Amino acid sequence: MASVTITDVWKYYGKTMAVKELNLEIRNNEFMCILGPSGCGKSSTLRMLAGLEFISSGDIYFDDVRVNDLPPRDRDIAMVFENYALYPHKTVYENMANPLKLRRTPKQEIERRVRRAAEILEIEPLLDRKPVELSGGQKQRTAIGRAIVREPKVFLFDEPIAHLDAKLRSHMRGELKHLQRDLETTTVYVTHDQLEGMSMADRIAVMHEGVLQQLGTPEEIYNHPTNEFVAGFVGEPPMNFLDCTLERTNVGLTVVHAGFRLALSEQQASLLTAGGAEADVRIGIRPDNIAIEPGADGALEVPGEIFVTEPLGGDMVVEVTIGGDRVTVKSKIGPMGGPGDPCRIGFAVDKLHVFDKTSGVAYF
Amino acid sequence: MASREIVRYRSPLRSVLQGLSVLFLIFFFVWTVLPLLIMVVSSFKDLLDAFQLPEVGDFGGVGVMFDFEPTGAHYVELFTEKHFGTYLRNSLIASLGSAAVSVSLGSMAAYALSRAEFRGKRDLLFWIISTRMAPVVAVMVPLYVIFRSSGLVGTLPGLILAYTTFNLPFAIWILKGFFDNVPYAIEEAAQCDGCTRWQAFRLIIPLVAPGLGAFIVLCVLFGWNDFLFATIIGSGGAKTLPVATAELVQPVKIQWGMIMAAGVVTTVPMMFLGLLIRRYLVAGLTMGAVRE
Repeated sequence: MASVTITDVWKYYGKTMAVKELNLEIRNNEFMCILGPSGCGKSSTLRMLAGLEFISSGDIYFDDVRVNDLPPRDRDIAMVFENYALYPHKTVYENMANPLKLRRTPKQEIERRVRRAAEILEIEPLLDRKPVELSGGQKQRTAIGRAIVREPKVFLFDEPIAHLDAKLRSHMRGELKHLQRDLETTTVYVTHDQLEGMSMADRIAVMHEGVLQQLGTPEEIYNHPTNEFVAGFVGEPPMNFLDCTLERTNVGLTVVHAGFRLALSEQQASLLTAGGAEADVRIGIRPDNIAIEPGADGALEVPGEIFVTEPLGGDMVVEVTIGGDRVTVKSKIGPMGGPGDPCRIGFAVDKLHVFDKTSGVAYF
Repeated sequence: MASREIVRYRSPLRSVLQGLSVLFLIFFFVWTVLPLLIMVVSSFKDLLDAFQLPEVGDFGGVGVMFDFEPTGAHYVELFTEKHFGTYLRNSLIASLGSAAVSVSLGSMAAYALSRAEFRGKRDLLFWIISTRMAPVVAVMVPLYVIFRSSGLVGTLPGLILAYTTFNLPFAIWILKGFFDNVPYAIEEAAQCDGCTRWQAFRLIIPLVAPGLGAFIVLCVLFGWNDFLFATIIGSGGAKTLPVATAELVQPVKIQWGMIMAAGVVTTVPMMFLGLLIRRYLVAGLTMGAVRE
């Protein structure tokens, strides 16, 4: 149990910058998820925490101890690797016992702790097997077991469930979250899957091209993204972005697109004015915040044409062409018509996001 | 996974080829096993029996070759009068010693070369293997001079050193390939578990066991079969089996029985080594530990 403080950390590989001036504080017992696309610097950050990579500049503290120059074994961390990295010549039991053996734990204590971890992870029947005889999910559990047999200061997870199949992945998400709450250990979890971040983390740090984009709770990240990258990365299906212009009318500000006009609320208008928004902006709206009805003469304000429909069982995703752009709409499943059929859509203006067109920074 | 079955269709050509390959295998078997058989059988014959051969073309007369009173006299003589016990010991010490030195140094060097990245690594690797490319004869004279002035001529350490000169570069190359195949993540996991770098290295040694096994065999064989180093550098105090066997060929009398017995004494330990190390040669130990 420890807090982790990352201050002004940079990481270079030769001349390539991987992490840029990262500042991050991970609270005691917090489940922190570092989220970003591949090559965003998230794994480098985790490996610097583990001590597997040198820190080019900056400092990392566990509580008040600067760990920059400590080798992994002196940092009291436990790491779960993306490719599991089990010891192929050792059984599941020996794999899990290894960290304890290295700390000269008494034999009975090792036995007790390994059994306990195996029980939590439901791999007791597999203890005598070698990794080669295990399925992907079982290997993953063994790797997690190896991490939880002792009580490290920090858990480090490097995309631990990325290679599992979809069903097992969703099961493991729940398990991992439960486990972390149970063990009450500070956890840093790296993933490129926004769903994992949203569903498990206390707070999420979104990274892109080595730079921390936003740090916040999943709710903040989802509802109040600070820029277009975060807005587009989080959420499934992803947010719609449309190039629009702002027009000042006598009642306030209006967003104008080739296919529609949206009057903004007073509060939204004042945020834009305060932010110094130019006339050309990009608006963002999530597929869930657009209503849709089939046919040309519904009550919703914007006419469109169906491009394609994707039924997902209970819900459906419809791509609609409006004014030369295409937007994705998510709604309950129902009769919608086929490609080329007319429809009408309506935007929930209060859920609208407006971004600067060049910098991508969000006004709201 | 797709089936590994090799699909074959019958055709006249295939039948002919199949017949030919059986013939070839029979010929090959006779070619390789017969000399060994004759060696073993002859080592138990006295001088007269050894030259009881059937007439050329008289295949029915082959029985003559096996019609003899077995005698262990040659073996007894080898070990009592000819001191083959000492030579056997010398051979074992020289070849196993060199294998041990080469394996321990070679695995550490190979590990370092596999894991570390530095400028000039490729050149260094090439230099290492190039030292193995020179024919033994070419370096014999300079080596002899060096060894003589170091007082290593005629000693077992000298012989071990000479074999190691040739075995070590080979070891580094073979083992580097095996270390390259061990995912680095395993060592990283070990370090996170609490291993030092050295402990992590020791942890993955079982994963390169097939490489070590193969290499030990090659190393031991090199030393065991060597004649040139053994005659020149080992002469005198560190005589090994091949040299001792060659000395049985004397100007007056070629002692075929004893030479055959010496041949058996030289061959048998290597066969046992092969059997002993066979299970380490089975590769594939790392399979399934890491998702590929």
